[in-house]
Amino acid sequence: MTTVLILLLLALGAYLVAVIETWTITGRFQLAAPLFAGIALLGRESIVPRKPDRIFFEVAPVLLLISAILAAAVVPLTPDLIITDLATGALFINAALVYVLVALLMAGWGPDGAYAMIGGWRFLGQLIAYAMLIVMPITAVVMRAESLLTTQIVVSQAGVWNIVYQPLGFVLFFIAAMALAFLPPFDLPTAKGELAGGVEAEYTGVRLAVFRLGRLALIITLAAATVIFYLGGWQGPWLPPWAWSAIKILVVTATMLLIGRFMPRIREADLLAWCWIFGIPLALLNIFLVGVLVLVLP
Amino acid sequence: MITGARQGTLSGLRRLVSIAMARDLSTFLIPGPDIARAHGLDFEAAGLHPVASPRHASVLLIVGAIPPALREAAAIIYAQMVRPRVLFALGTETLPPLPAADVVAGLSQQDLIQGIRQLRSAFAEGAFRPDVSDFDAPMLHVRIEYTCPMHPEVVQSEPGSCPKCGMDLLPREAQATAGHTHADHQEMDNSADRQATSTHDHGTHHTMVHDAPLEYTCPMHPEVVQREPGSCPKCGMNLEPREAQTEPTHDHHHMTHDAPVEYTCPMHPEVVQSEPGSCPKCGMTLEPHEMQDTQTQEHAGMDPHRDHSTMDPGDMAFMSMIDVTQDLPRSGDGLPMEWIEAPFGPFFPGLPGGLLLTLTLDGDTVAGSDARSLIGNGDLLLQHLSMDSGSFVERLANRDPLAPVAYRLLACRALENVAGMDIPADTACARIGALERERIASHLGWLALFGQQTGFDWLRRHAASLQLKFQQADLKQILALKPAIQALTKRLQRTPLLESRTAGIGQLAPDATLRGPVARATGISDDARSTDKTCAALGFTPVSREGGDALARLHVRLDEIAHSIALIKAAGAIELPAPAHVGELSGTGEAVVETPRGLARLQLTLEGGQVTATQLDTPSTHHLTLITPLIEQQELGDALVIVGSLDLSPWEIQP
Repeated sequence: MTTVLILLLLALGAYLVAVIETWTITGRFQLAAPLFAGIALLGRESIVPRKPDRIFFEVAPVLLLISAILAAAVVPLTPDLIITDLATGALFINAALVYVLVALLMAGWGPDGAYAMIGGWRFLGQLIAYAMLIVMPITAVVMRAESLLTTQIVVSQAGVWNIVYQPLGFVLFFIAAMALAFLPPFDLPTAKGELAGGVEAEYTGVRLAVFRLGRLALIITLAAATVIFYLGGWQGPWLPPWAWSAIKILVVTATMLLIGRFMPRIREADLLAWCWIFGIPLALLNIFLVGVLVLVLP
Repeated sequence: MITGARQGTLSGLRRLVSIAMARDLSTFLIPGPDIARAHGLDFEAAGLHPVASPRHASVLLIVGAIPPALREAAAIIYAQMVRPRVLFALGTETLPPLPAADVVAGLSQQDLIQGIRQLRSAFAEGAFRPDVSDFDAPMLHVRIEYTCPMHPEVVQSEPGSCPKCGMDLLPREAQATAGHTHADHQEMDNSADRQATSTHDHGTHHTMVHDAPLEYTCPMHPEVVQREPGSCPKCGMNLEPREAQTEPTHDHHHMTHDAPVEYTCPMHPEVVQSEPGSCPKCGMTLEPHEMQDTQTQEHAGMDPHRDHSTMDPGDMAFMSMIDVTQDLPRSGDGLPMEWIEAPFGPFFPGLPGGLLLTLTLDGDTVAGSDARSLIGNGDLLLQHLSMDSGSFVERLANRDPLAPVAYRLLACRALENVAGMDIPADTACARIGALERERIASHLGWLALFGQQTGFDWLRRHAASLQLKFQQADLKQILALKPAIQALTKRLQRTPLLESRTAGIGQLAPDATLRGPVARATGISDDARSTDKTCAALGFTPVSREGGDALARLHVRLDEIAHSIALIKAAGAIELPAPAHVGELSGTGEAVVETPRGLARLQLTLEGGQVTATQLDTPSTHHLTLITPLIEQQELGDALVIVGSLDLSPWEIQP
């Protein structure tokens, strides 16, 4: 029952992400637009490129969707509304999302097209930049909660949210999450003006619909992960827990989608250099600071 | 009814789908958004949703008349679009080889909106049809040519044997030739193939594959190769078919199959022996290696005819990077990767429409490039033309939709020079007003394209809407827009990542061949307006910046927008130049105009009032040659920013 409910909420969340995304681009709230776009995609032909790696080409969109759903399985929306409260929940999110890279690489290689292939390579490079900045801030979050249980992580923020307790970790995680969801300005693998869609370029019809759904689910899952790690999850006054979860997740999603509109796409070389030169030392510093705080504060 | 309908009867569910499609008009724009805006069209406000890949589009929108080479490229784009698809033409009906447009409308926002209404109803009613015919055009067919595996210079259109060595020639797909300008060669083939599967034309590609001898090999044990299907004697897996490899450059293993084998330890390369066994240092089983045959290797490495787009993991040893990469050409960084040739354009979302940039990519680094314009605007260069002066001015003005005022002014000035006329000061001022207004609009259009290219969506939309406002603005409106320009400039100075994206990219040294903002960004204050008395009287001073990189070019354009507003204010009027009446005059004349892209020069000869010879020199023609040296060894994203920062107009490039 919980599983079905969470899956339905994930679908609803993905739909809302699409609505918010349209809003950030056109400035208009069009509740029905993603519905029409989705149906239209299903009505179009879905063609296979001429020399595909058929397995990679077919599996990639599905894998992207699956990895987002897997990660969503350990995200608690209320103390009880969680598919499985794994003892290794915090790490499981990271483990599930590794398949995003695999899916994009497959989508890049599968169609045997130049733009897609370069998009796949770019995301492989991007992984080297963001991967450590996902794991290391999570480490600091776990240190405070003294547990990998995602519910326990939320409970540990009862007094002070992690965004206040470890702001540095929040900034790093937020940036890395955007890079993982290949949202602008980190949309290197799909870059419209540089690769005409990149890894997405060769997908059409139903396959494209699955790919886009996977991307939307990934965004909402990462926003939810940000909320439980740093924004106190379901906690908040007056409103019921589910409402707080929903509000926080949608606000984080909107922020993630808005930021990229106001700056040009980052250069891949800069992303790599900055993440290694500044990101990792800062993440280590964050772990150290949180360690000191955990020891000093009761 | 739409010609690009998808096959099927319009049942209840499909009716619903059709209605959804009519609401969601994903549009691919030809020649590009820059031209649409130059015609004053705001297609997003009209309800079209632009997409970057023709694969994702259901509407192909053609804006204005386009030359034959672009129509050919557009036909390929149309074939790449999945059905149902519609063709929507604005201001033109000459489309072959494209099919007739489903909806035709005039070149104005009003007509565009009207046309979209028609488009929606056409979609809702005709997205599915039981009898669909395929779109076919000559450029969609894959041509097969035959070549000798040993003598790549032997290429012919018929099968046969090599005149040099007598070997049977092998079929291969013909490489994209000069006239073929695909947005993506592979994509084009797909669509040709897709259509082939549904109709009469059985794809040449299939025939080719089936005619080639097949052999069967184990995916895990590449040394197992046999003519018949079966299972692997080593692991029992089903053997997989592949084309028999006879080209030596394609298959290192087969080529050197008889080469002596030596055994070496994967961890200790210094351990080499001629017999199998285990490593004396670590005990690992030694792996067989073919002894290097330096001669063949060199030959393979230098062979320029290697088909880099073929990536068949089947002929590579499992996971051996050395085997995979040893025949590949090396680029500057020494890291061997597959080189791929990819076309960017002529309708690439981040480049000016009509510009074809073919990049040879080594990974995502540019190893080679070729840039040219597909517009082919050479008709005015004819030495023996005869045209009355009035229509000559119109021809030159309509030649470049991105700078019509500047070229109109150029033609008028040249005619006046022949006639030895002097222009009244107030007319001259009003002309400057029109020229500067165009410069502002053009620079804003460039900013919008830059925003599009770099995914800076706010800039794309904001600059585009400002451009549309400036284009037809009168004096009062322009002065009212001044704060918006100031705000834009301020915003861009504070934009994160903008500097890192452009600083040091596309560095140019001061050079006499540079023109316009590109030259002035290298610190040269070279501007044709400096020598113009009217401009000097209006308080013109050339804008220049040090740096010579893409960032400096961005800032020069921003400064020029501000300066142009000041000039328009000083000029006090805006008036399009009108051609002087020259009568039966004969003689030669010359004129220069600082167009938004730099100095353009026109020399013309009049005989009895007829223009008989012209010579035109445009900035983009010079800047086009900068591309190849500038983007060599640059990362793809940087290379595109460099090409974009030159602000080329394919319409003014001389063939």
